[in-house]
Amino acid sequence: MTAIFAIVKRLLASNKISFIITVLVVLCATSSGDGVLSNGNYIWLLAVMTPFFFVYYDYTKLIHLGASKRDYFFGCLISYGFLAFCISLFNTAIHLLIDPIYSARTVINLMDVCKWTENGIIVAGLQQMFFLLLGMLFLHVLLSMQPHWYGWLTDAVLVVIICIFTRIAPLRGVLAGFFQIIMLNSNAVLHMGICLLLSAALSLVGLLVLKKKTL
Amino acid sequence: MIELKQVTKQYGQATVLKNITLSIDEPGIYCLLGRNGAGKTTLLKSVAGYQNITNGTIQVDGKGITTSTLDTGVSYIENFAKHFNLPVRKLLRIASEVNPNYDYDFASEMMERFELDGKKKFNHLSLGMKTMVSTIICLASNKSVVLLDEPVLGFDAIMRVEFYDMLTESFQKHPRIIIVSTHIIEEIAKTIQKLIIIDKGSVCFFDTLQSVETRAFRISGLQKDVEVATQNLNVIGQDTVGGLVTRYIFDNPPEQTASLEIRPLPLQDFFIQMVGHKGGAVK
Repeated sequence: MTAIFAIVKRLLASNKISFIITVLVVLCATSSGDGVLSNGNYIWLLAVMTPFFFVYYDYTKLIHLGASKRDYFFGCLISYGFLAFCISLFNTAIHLLIDPIYSARTVINLMDVCKWTENGIIVAGLQQMFFLLLGMLFLHVLLSMQPHWYGWLTDAVLVVIICIFTRIAPLRGVLAGFFQIIMLNSNAVLHMGICLLLSAALSLVGLLVLKKKTL
Repeated sequence: MIELKQVTKQYGQATVLKNITLSIDEPGIYCLLGRNGAGKTTLLKSVAGYQNITNGTIQVDGKGITTSTLDTGVSYIENFAKHFNLPVRKLLRIASEVNPNYDYDFASEMMERFELDGKKKFNHLSLGMKTMVSTIICLASNKSVVLLDEPVLGFDAIMRVEFYDMLTESFQKHPRIIIVSTHIIEEIAKTIQKLIIIDKGSVCFFDTLQSVETRAFRISGLQKDVEVATQNLNVIGQDTVGGLVTRYIFDNPPEQTASLEIRPLPLQDFFIQMVGHKGGAVK
């Protein structure tokens, strides 16, 4: 376990650039008009950038330091879980403390858009955390696959799905339904269950990809 | 213990490792020699589980090694290994945290001995110093198999001598299998126990250094005399200058006669005779 936590520490420490960019965007972002975007939304940027560093920057260096693939895998999972918790915590805090300051204007926070706040702020925070975990794992797996043919195939399949499914009404319904379940879902138990299930499935795929990874 | 059975590695049409069967049972410092492109790095990377082989099996301590092996128990370091751009001391500390059996005291001691500035960031080090940091991390890992791919690249003469001492000390402290791939043959001879020579993807020699010292000879003389003296021996090479012939053998030496000059073959010459292909012709 010591090795895994050392890897978690290193993964988070070498993710400085993501932290800095996220903080800058959160602090500097401004909106105009009657509706303003909550600055807390921009914390999600951290969830988007982190997998790039874990996959492309940290992996080789950790292996050269003598870390095993097994420890790297669990280290990534723990780090994503921790970051999902932190991002969710900060966005929830901003939603509670800073968003009400704009009383004259409508503040759009993704937690509201996704209908999570209908279940109370704590459950909304948890729903957000599980969704972010799913998002980070999806990106991690997708990025890990890029050096292989099946990565490119997955990219192509995703592009085809988006292009075709959005143009044909019945398929558009399927796509919308999928996002209703994994994102725009006010049923907290179903939402968190689906996110956890998909996260577990993606972790397994990630493990398979890691097993194929060469140096 | 490392066991390779009929290991073949192909990159497209090119076969880099050809049906290699090799068993390394005992702890020791082994030297892997071979010309550029002979397959040394491919062999080491395959044993480390950094890449898959096309055919055959590789086992380390009874565990099958492929890229799927999540914990190989092998420590491998290559030239130009990338590390976090952190101060050297911190890098060694992190390595000790991610390696359960890491010998931090050994790493620190080596850092002092090689006058590595612990506060200097990795990317600011010279090539030799970078290689030294990688080598220290690899040796201090204390894994049962340590593979060093051209560790003396970029080292000056003094650093090389210090490195060979470090290798011996590390082995004495924790006896295990250490394989060192190098081109500087004579220097490492004092440090190693066994020699593996790989040529064109095949292992053409695997024996003790002592066997080279006792069985590798050059026999010079008139062509007829040399041919008679070496006719039933294992001749590994031949040079002809005018009427004089020199044959290189790896066998028990023939009886000394007045017409023959028999001399032990230096390790480098032995290696050259084993893998040298003059004029592109394969012996």
